[in-house]
Amino acid sequence: MGGLTTSLYIGVQALESTQGALNATSNNIANANTPGYTREVPQFSEGTLNFTGGQVQGGGVTLTGLQSVRDELLNLQINQQTSEQSSVDTQSSSLQQIQNYFTTTGGDIASALSAFSSSIAQLSANSSSTAAQQSVISTGENLAQSFNQTASGLTSAQSAADSQVTQTVAQINSLSQQIATLNGQVFQLTAAGQSGGTVEDQRDQLVNQLSKLTGISVAQSDNGETITTANGSPLVVGNQAFSLQTTTGTNGLQQVIDSSGNNITASIQGGQLGGALTIRDQTIPSYLNQLNTLATQFATAFNSAQAAGFDSNGNAGGKFFNLPASASQAAAGISVAITNPAQIAISSDGAPGSNGNVVNLAAAVNNALPSGETPAAAYASLVYQVGNATSSATSQSSAIGANLLSLTNQQSSESGVNIDEETTNLIRYQTAYEAAARIISTVQALGTVTLDMGSSQSY
Amino acid sequence: MRINSNMVPDILADLQQSQSTLNMALQQVATGKSVNVPSDNPAAAADMVQNTVETSNVDQYTKNVTGELSMVQSADSALSTVVSSLTQAISLGTEGATGTNSAANQQAIAQQVQGILAGVVTQANLSYQGNYLFAGTASTTTPYTADPSSPSGYTYNGNNNTNSVMVGDNTSIQVNLPGSQIFSNSTTNVLQSLSSLVTALQSGNSASISTATNAVTTALNYVDQQRVFYANAEGQLNSQDTYLQQETVNLSTQQTSLVGVDMAQAATQLSQAETDNSAALAAAAKVLPNTLLNYLSVPS
Repeated sequence: MGGLTTSLYIGVQALESTQGALNATSNNIANANTPGYTREVPQFSEGTLNFTGGQVQGGGVTLTGLQSVRDELLNLQINQQTSEQSSVDTQSSSLQQIQNYFTTTGGDIASALSAFSSSIAQLSANSSSTAAQQSVISTGENLAQSFNQTASGLTSAQSAADSQVTQTVAQINSLSQQIATLNGQVFQLTAAGQSGGTVEDQRDQLVNQLSKLTGISVAQSDNGETITTANGSPLVVGNQAFSLQTTTGTNGLQQVIDSSGNNITASIQGGQLGGALTIRDQTIPSYLNQLNTLATQFATAFNSAQAAGFDSNGNAGGKFFNLPASASQAAAGISVAITNPAQIAISSDGAPGSNGNVVNLAAAVNNALPSGETPAAAYASLVYQVGNATSSATSQSSAIGANLLSLTNQQSSESGVNIDEETTNLIRYQTAYEAAARIISTVQALGTVTLDMGSSQSY
Repeated sequence: MRINSNMVPDILADLQQSQSTLNMALQQVATGKSVNVPSDNPAAAADMVQNTVETSNVDQYTKNVTGELSMVQSADSALSTVVSSLTQAISLGTEGATGTNSAANQQAIAQQVQGILAGVVTQANLSYQGNYLFAGTASTTTPYTADPSSPSGYTYNGNNNTNSVMVGDNTSIQVNLPGSQIFSNSTTNVLQSLSSLVTALQSGNSASISTATNAVTTALNYVDQQRVFYANAEGQLNSQDTYLQQETVNLSTQQTSLVGVDMAQAATQLSQAETDNSAALAAAAKVLPNTLLNYLSVPS
């Protein structure tokens, strides 16, 4: 009977193991579309067969566990590329908004400048016409307004990026917290000799989300993953999370402070946070700066051209443009100082019919400013910069996107669930289960035969 | 190597790509512009800023040329009237100098010359669109008003300055001469010469009538010389007009090449993009539902 019991035992083990494998397959199929899920492969191991006293002892199969198929190196690369892409995407979407202010629509600086310039050329031929004079004032006002609007468009994009910083930091903190908790769980599981499995999947998924928010570096240590920002400020160490904080800086913008109280704003790179900071602290200030320089130099040049002539009442020409006291507000605050057409300094000799100073006014608009460029050229160079930054952010994003796609494909080919494969496994384990069940029923039949051997009834 | 069976990300990326190409092609055909925002072509967008400013300037310069041309022509025709008036005065002077006229005739001739003087002053006070043509830059002041204390009977109220009109970037053309240069110059005073002729005719002295007539002849030649200025200005304005027309064509050609769309090409691209997009969609529809399950019988 000993041999039959062994077979029965082997059959039961086979049933149990195959059931486990079927469970794993079902779970793989169920999670085929779960983000971050890595397929689990059942690990079978054969029992040792002993041949003692002419009988087979032991043997059979055990399901030692389920193993998740993951490639840590690929994960790192994916996280890194995710950070970069999310950084350029953040910049790109902000630049898309900014570049609308630099598009020739009629309300932009280029259109306003051309209207102003041609109204002065018109004044040259119709210097005594009130309509022509009025047109210089109203096109001048339009020009000042386009400067105001462009500057306020840039400023509002800057404050949008600023509030993105606060929000992103809050998200980073919440993710760090969750990752730290999962880190602790993985540590406990591995300490108990079990595979991290789905908990690790969840953690990897969260780490990927974190890398979308900011550039991070991940290191494996004894007590789980250690995650730091690009400059080394800790976010997660083992089961402990370190939160970042934001505080309003001297420039009125949010500064990022790490857990030790250091201001790490300037050293943050990558991710939404890095992208928002680049836009907020570098890109927009550079544009605003150029716009302010242009507004200041243009207004100053035009005002000195005004001062060189006489208005229609024979008085020396006064200021045409008002500039705010602070140079950093020049574009935002530039306005037309005069309202009366008679105050335009058209005359060069004081006679009301002279147009001698119009040439000077036109020169202020069409000739080079102290920057070495004409107002139109200075503005054109700004348009070029904005357009170029936008287009290169967009093309960078699609380049990184392609790279990321190929990495994700590689990851999927490694860890992804293949329905066909799982279906095949399903058939395989179904057959194995049927076969194992057949062992049980065969052993049962054999057992009955054996038990009936001594009975007379069987004859 | 294990093959990635999840084609969804690839298919989505392909669809996105072909959709974005389709949108771009559609936008180009719909707007007729290849550059709608600076990022479409940063260099062209920057060049367009200059082009926009330059185009509206050239447009205005062309209007200036047209306006000034008719003003210069008015001034020139005023001077032409003055020349024929002076010619008439010379023949009257010559007639008065013969000494064969009766005293009454002589007075009548003097009155005719006086009338000519008034006519010349009318021409000198001519205004164009509300601005006096010969007042220098004081175009709102009547250039000549009657003044008994002046030898010519008229005094000049304008100034000696001139106006130039912008007809190009850094190109201005002088469009007027002050009356003080044409009519009441210190060496050749047109009004004074006519007024002297009137006085001489009234006096009946043949010798002084001859002298006065000669002075009017000198004045006539002088005015003729001044007309050269207006003829030159007219010529300059005309050639500038030709230049500006060419410039308008150049700028609009530049604009087309910078941001314009070749319609035939854009339409071809659009239909190409449509085909690509349909192909990507068809491929996705064909490939996605394919699994082993389609071929397995349902367990009974």
